[in-house]
Amino acid sequence: MMECAFDAQNLISISLRKIQSSRTQRGGIKLHKNLLVTYVLRNARQFYMSKNLSQTQRTHHYEDVAAVRGRHEYLELTGSLTELADDFYCNFTGVESDTWHCGAHQSIGQPAEVAHQDASACAMVPQSDSELMVSEACWSCADKSSWDLPVLNAQANQKTVLDLDTHVVTTVTNGYFHSDCCAQSKQPQGAQCYSKKRKMDTSYYVVDPEFYLPDFGPWPCKRMRTDDDSPSEPEQLDSSNISNLISVLGSGGLSEFVSWQQTDLEQIIAAQTICLKHTLLTGSGWTRAIEAF
Amino acid sequence: VLLERDKRGVGRTDIISTVEFNHTGELLATGDKGGRVVIFQQEIENKSQPQFRSEYNVYSTFQSHEPEFDYLKSLEIEEKINKIRWLPQKNAAQFLLSTNDKTIKLWKISERDKRPEGYNLKEEDGRYKDPNTIMSLRVPVLIPMDLMVEASPRRVFANAHTYHINSISVNSDNETYLSADDLRINLWHLEITDRSFNIVDIKPANMEELTEVITAAEFHPHQCNTFVYSSSKGTIRLCDMRASALCDKHSKLFEEPEDPSNRSFFSEIISSISDVKFSHNGRYMMTRDYLSVKIWDLNMENRPVETYQVHEYLRSKLCSLYENDCIFDKFECCWNGNDSVVMTGSYNNFFRMFDRGQRRDVTLEASRENSKPMQVLKPRKVCAGGKRKKDEISVDSLDFNKKILHTAWHPQDNIIAVATTNNLYIFQDKVN
Repeated sequence: MMECAFDAQNLISISLRKIQSSRTQRGGIKLHKNLLVTYVLRNARQFYMSKNLSQTQRTHHYEDVAAVRGRHEYLELTGSLTELADDFYCNFTGVESDTWHCGAHQSIGQPAEVAHQDASACAMVPQSDSELMVSEACWSCADKSSWDLPVLNAQANQKTVLDLDTHVVTTVTNGYFHSDCCAQSKQPQGAQCYSKKRKMDTSYYVVDPEFYLPDFGPWPCKRMRTDDDSPSEPEQLDSSNISNLISVLGSGGLSEFVSWQQTDLEQIIAAQTICLKHTLLTGSGWTRAIEAF
Repeated sequence: VLLERDKRGVGRTDIISTVEFNHTGELLATGDKGGRVVIFQQEIENKSQPQFRSEYNVYSTFQSHEPEFDYLKSLEIEEKINKIRWLPQKNAAQFLLSTNDKTIKLWKISERDKRPEGYNLKEEDGRYKDPNTIMSLRVPVLIPMDLMVEASPRRVFANAHTYHINSISVNSDNETYLSADDLRINLWHLEITDRSFNIVDIKPANMEELTEVITAAEFHPHQCNTFVYSSSKGTIRLCDMRASALCDKHSKLFEEPEDPSNRSFFSEIISSISDVKFSHNGRYMMTRDYLSVKIWDLNMENRPVETYQVHEYLRSKLCSLYENDCIFDKFECCWNGNDSVVMTGSYNNFFRMFDRGQRRDVTLEASRENSKPMQVLKPRKVCAGGKRKKDEISVDSLDFNKKILHTAWHPQDNIIAVATTNNLYIFQDKVN
């Protein structure tokens, strides 16, 4: 490759910004462009890995850096990146960034209706509705800090996460971790977005590559869609009640909805969890990249 | 030798997003970011003269698409017209398909130059007469009136695409057409709007395994069972609809191995194909990626038969072009009527023509400052490095905001339409 290490770092930050700004673009996320951007990210990361293959002893130094910063901040930043990537991988239909997006709990103890990924249903759930598990899950992390205590599983590719609030144990397998992207009703200073569950490997810390950028600004935070700014129906939507959703479509009618749903239900309802591609965030390539600067 | 006529006018803020001649070349349709379609009609002055000059004037303007809001996904749908494709003319009216990201519409453009007069029951202003006052009957007659061009939507093909539509292509059977988005291609019948057949689906079961998207698709000009689609990985797949209902398995795969010495962070981006066009004779197809145009023989899959560098001097600037998003620009390409010349756009309002037979190419500029009406266009040259000669333009002084993404060539004559950001230029080859 022609570019030097500094350009690769620059590319990473530029690429992440592009992914971030694509969430707010009119017309929805452009799948093609974002896919190409992830290729640049991958190439830049591979470049770092090839540059730092021999420097294994630096991981200890890296942990010191992490300790100084504080775990909480790490989680926030990585949560932001997780959210970004989640949006990309899970919102291929082009849901805009300020649309409420709920990750379902991948947990043993909770009922199945939590699993619904209907973004607009989440958006329409008012704060007071405590009957829907989805809303409760989302709002809980705005109210409390329910950070997980990671428990390393015996298997190398499995992690077990304990939710401090619900005392639910979640097992993450095969390098994928499940994160819940939660929007907040209030915007704290800095507009941080929290990730509910974070998988932590005690051998090294996962840090957002943007972490070391000098002009790191506040992440745009997803906000709850209120009735004021959304032209959609004000009534509550039960994510499992499709007939309510039909009413939102208005004059389009049932046939339009059904034919559209057939191509889109897979997006909205099929998956129970959001999985994030692991390679971008973890892997020794990133940690070594941080150490280099 | 080209003469210039500037058509869309000064100061318009509409960004042209597609340009397409109809099958006779008499009509030229443009679509813009605001969802409008403007159709120009050719009026030939004295075609019998050796130096005839064609003039394209506005024929019809209509709002094809409006911005929409998808309530279910909380997503705004842009009204920008991504593609226009004309149907072959069957009767007095003209038909075209126009599409935005989600919805395809069939428009009928018809002329009205007569109106009926002499109703028995109605006055001229439309008021109904008292039947008791009618003493005699007459036959209404059609009398001439000023030409009125009407555009009316005849079909709306909606709700079949989850992702953004990038292509539409009318089949040679004149009954069906395809529409392609990032991951799927659907086959429609022009008469049927409430269903379509999915003929290509490259969506992986797990979206994290996504590695490529569909970037363009087109039906073969003569074989109604054959179509091609290009991908972001630089491959083109030719599919035969007779082989199976779902054409996920291609009949042919066209791919050129990457030159490892050119490998960079941006290799994937610049190899993504932005346009694919069959030649008129159906034996070749042309693809456009970021830096080059390639001509493929349909009988040879492992490499193109011709490759033309559009702006190779940009290869060293890819990092900046990535930063300012220009590297994602999707340039189109087109053939001339007899497939001897291909054309595509570039930056600084430059466009390039490659003469396949004579193995020569030319760079021309579409701009007000550099050409007056009826003036012959001067070839331009970009200085890649070293000493800049007189009249050459250095790479660093190119204006990357002035890009020509959309060009079209008259199906028979040497008339081309070139769209800058919000102006349309029509150039004609001076016939000697």
